[in-house]
Amino acid sequence: MATVVLKELTKRYANSDLLAVDAVSLDVKHGEFMVLLGPSGCGKSTTLRMIAGLESISAGDLLIDGKRVNAVPSKDRDIAMVFQSYALYPHMSVFDNLAFGLRRRDIAKNEIDRRVTSVAATLGLSELLKRKPHALSGGQRQRVALGRAIVRDPKVFLFDEPLSNLDAALRVGMRGELIKLHHRLGATMIYVTHDQVEAMTMGDRICIMNGGKVVQLGSPLDVYREPADTFVASFLGSPPTNLLSGTFNGSGLTVGTAHLPVARKGEGDKVILGIRPEDIRIDASAPHTCGEVLAVEPLGAETIVRFRLPAVAHDVLVRGPRSVVAKVGESVPLTFDLASAHLFDPVTTRRIA
Amino acid sequence: MISRAFLFIVVAVYTAFAAGPFLWVATMSLRTTSEISLDHYAWPETLHWEKFPQAWFNSNYSVYFENSLLVVISAVIVLTLVGAMAAHCFARYRFRINRLLYFVIFSAIIFPPQITIIALFQTLVQYGLYNSLIGLTLVYIAVQLPLTVYILESFFARIPADLFDAARIDGYPEWHIFWKVSLPIALPAIATTVILNTILLWNEFLYAVVLITDEAKRTLPLGIQRFMGDQLEDVGMIATGLMIAIIPVVIIYIFFSEKLIQGMTAGAVK
Amino acid sequence: MARALPLLSAERQPWGAIIAFLLPAFTIYTALTAYPVFRTLWNSFHTVLPRKEEFIGLANYVTLAQDEIFWRSVKNTFIWACASPLAEVSIALLLALALYAKIPGMRFFRIAWFTPVLMSYVVVGIIWVWIYNYDWGAANAILRALGLERFVQAWIGDPKIALPSLIFITTWMWTGFNMVVLLAALHSLPSEVIEAAELDNCGWGAKLWHIIIPLVKPTLLNLLVLSFIGKMKIFDLVWITTKGGPLWSTETVSTYTYKRAFEWTSFDLGYPSTIAAVWFVIVLVAVLTLTWLFRQRDRLEY
Repeated sequence: MATVVLKELTKRYANSDLLAVDAVSLDVKHGEFMVLLGPSGCGKSTTLRMIAGLESISAGDLLIDGKRVNAVPSKDRDIAMVFQSYALYPHMSVFDNLAFGLRRRDIAKNEIDRRVTSVAATLGLSELLKRKPHALSGGQRQRVALGRAIVRDPKVFLFDEPLSNLDAALRVGMRGELIKLHHRLGATMIYVTHDQVEAMTMGDRICIMNGGKVVQLGSPLDVYREPADTFVASFLGSPPTNLLSGTFNGSGLTVGTAHLPVARKGEGDKVILGIRPEDIRIDASAPHTCGEVLAVEPLGAETIVRFRLPAVAHDVLVRGPRSVVAKVGESVPLTFDLASAHLFDPVTTRRIA
Repeated sequence: MISRAFLFIVVAVYTAFAAGPFLWVATMSLRTTSEISLDHYAWPETLHWEKFPQAWFNSNYSVYFENSLLVVISAVIVLTLVGAMAAHCFARYRFRINRLLYFVIFSAIIFPPQITIIALFQTLVQYGLYNSLIGLTLVYIAVQLPLTVYILESFFARIPADLFDAARIDGYPEWHIFWKVSLPIALPAIATTVILNTILLWNEFLYAVVLITDEAKRTLPLGIQRFMGDQLEDVGMIATGLMIAIIPVVIIYIFFSEKLIQGMTAGAVK
Repeated sequence: MARALPLLSAERQPWGAIIAFLLPAFTIYTALTAYPVFRTLWNSFHTVLPRKEEFIGLANYVTLAQDEIFWRSVKNTFIWACASPLAEVSIALLLALALYAKIPGMRFFRIAWFTPVLMSYVVVGIIWVWIYNYDWGAANAILRALGLERFVQAWIGDPKIALPSLIFITTWMWTGFNMVVLLAALHSLPSEVIEAAELDNCGWGAKLWHIIIPLVKPTLLNLLVLSFIGKMKIFDLVWITTKGGPLWSTETVSTYTYKRAFEWTSFDLGYPSTIAAVWFVIVLVAVLTLTWLFRQRDRLEY
């Protein structure tokens, strides 16, 4: 259990001016489950690898438990990492895979046996101890990778997209396992993923990254409800937030041909209205506008309807209850829940309101 | 942690060790024998380029070179075609004796040449193919066939079945599929075997020395060996002769080094 | 690697095509490989003279069992086939590890080290005869230049060191090849596994011993077997340098067979065929034994 603090951590690769990681600052508290979320190439894995010591730090400070560890080699940082590809030692049995790190640290043999067997039991690996990795299924290998980290009893756990190589059903199951594990161990965990569902369900806090920079940091619901910019708004949530261009005029906001009672904010007349599919209702009582149905996706528990709004460039997605019935081509009245909507500056993409 | 500098030195020394002898021959090829006797390791003062035409015309190198060229090119062409056909068949058709037949050909890679060479000698003499370039070419094809089939078969096997199924559904006959689907896709592997076989056969000595004794039919390796025997002390001319033998290989290597390295090492990485 | 064989309806195979594809290869194979093997075996039970063949049963084999030169040549060949691979592969491993540590100019070195393998044994043989020349060869010249006069030898003229001198040549030739293969194998190792080892408190030495070498073991063994097979066949090099001398110290089975067949007082091809047949069996047994010894018990999948 430890704190991890990143101060303006930067990574520049030798033959380019591009900053893979740009002045990332982050403070992970004791026992917190911190998720680094972002699209491919946003720098989250690089950041994690810098914390692990597998990549050198170009600038900035990395502190583990208050101690600056920039120059400390990986093996001395008291961290354990679960790799995306599991990285099990192919020529060793499951038992040896789990025991290897401990043997390298001169821990007494019976202590090693004790820890390995107990961790194996927790993860349901007891019967597989003699097998080699190639004789294990994906899920089993993943658990061995996990076990290898747990058995080390490190200060910090690092996860590099550990669930992305698993099939969907297994992924859901493992997500639950990891959450339970976190509660049981109470350890500090830093978890990298591009899957926003994982981030929302597992993280105590989410750090959203894009283009090497930290875009927003906060608890899952905070980030969901108050996105810092259009990127976060569209990245979190499925289906993504509708982003509509609008213009302020005298009485309110004009979006397409719809006229919305929104107070003017920010400079300039142009603005981007962000509204989530669940915040638009099919409601004839006091509609803001009418939309033409383009497609209906009944998902069982709910229905997603795709609309074309007059004079609006992009399709608008609306999430409705399963009772929704609409035909393609129909014109349907829509009401916006403007209290939950956001306004974004069209140039900086940051949220204004 | 061993320092980078030390490793670099080790590497540099080994490079001198590996490439040094060739450099030495190259320099000697441009010096006259008398110059060489004075100092074996000096850099050539004047570059005696005339030694090359000398070796070529006066010492029959042109004959040896042409013979080698003829034999190697013909052998490689036929070998590649025949080998590709067999490899394609092994890789793409399922029939009960497939693996058995493949093993029969593949196992020949281990055979020591002695087990075939005496009888080959007898056979070629019997059919009047002794001391003939045709006879040697045929033998060369047989000698390199197992390796060629081995390399090509594993490549053909990796081509996705969908391509063949699509061609079949389109009604293409089997030969057409081989010619228009398998071969073009396997071109990299074929190029590799061509380069590999060319170099191996260009350098081949044992079969040549047994099956050819006629001066006019000698291949380059035989020619060099005879040269060495004839003029043991004419180091300068021998060196020039060696360069004539080495240069084609070097040229192929310069252009195809990656391919060549890949091809020769392909079977070895597990 | 899955074998992608097409699924044709039922077992209706295009036999015409199959036969057409295989015929040329098998014709050549049968005529020039299979048939000669059997003919050589046939020969071994006969005295085979230019105009006469006479059946003599196992007489050749009995003679062979007592043929001192043959057994000497077998011993020489085996020494060669065991010593050279070990030297070639271990030196190659060290060099590959050195390059693996990312020395600049790697591509150039790789190409330079591979060169000896491309040259004809004839060319290599002549060059090394010169290097080993007592008076002016590079070997002795260097020794003299370093003040190590007393180590100057007649490298291929002295029966006691001729064989090691030749083994040195094949090591020189093939180390570069093995090095290139090992380098490729090292680069194909999954980097995350090695990183995991780093996190598991492994320094360079530990990583090498516990992780890297075990993972390239299949390739190492493979190279040893390939090299072994190659040395069992060796002829060209010996023929150019020492022709089996001095005093049969470098006589290999291949040179001895050649001499008995084509450079002996009698023209009998039966006896050399016997040598070939016995050698064939010896080689096969040796290779099968090695392969069995080195077989991988589990697939090292990664």
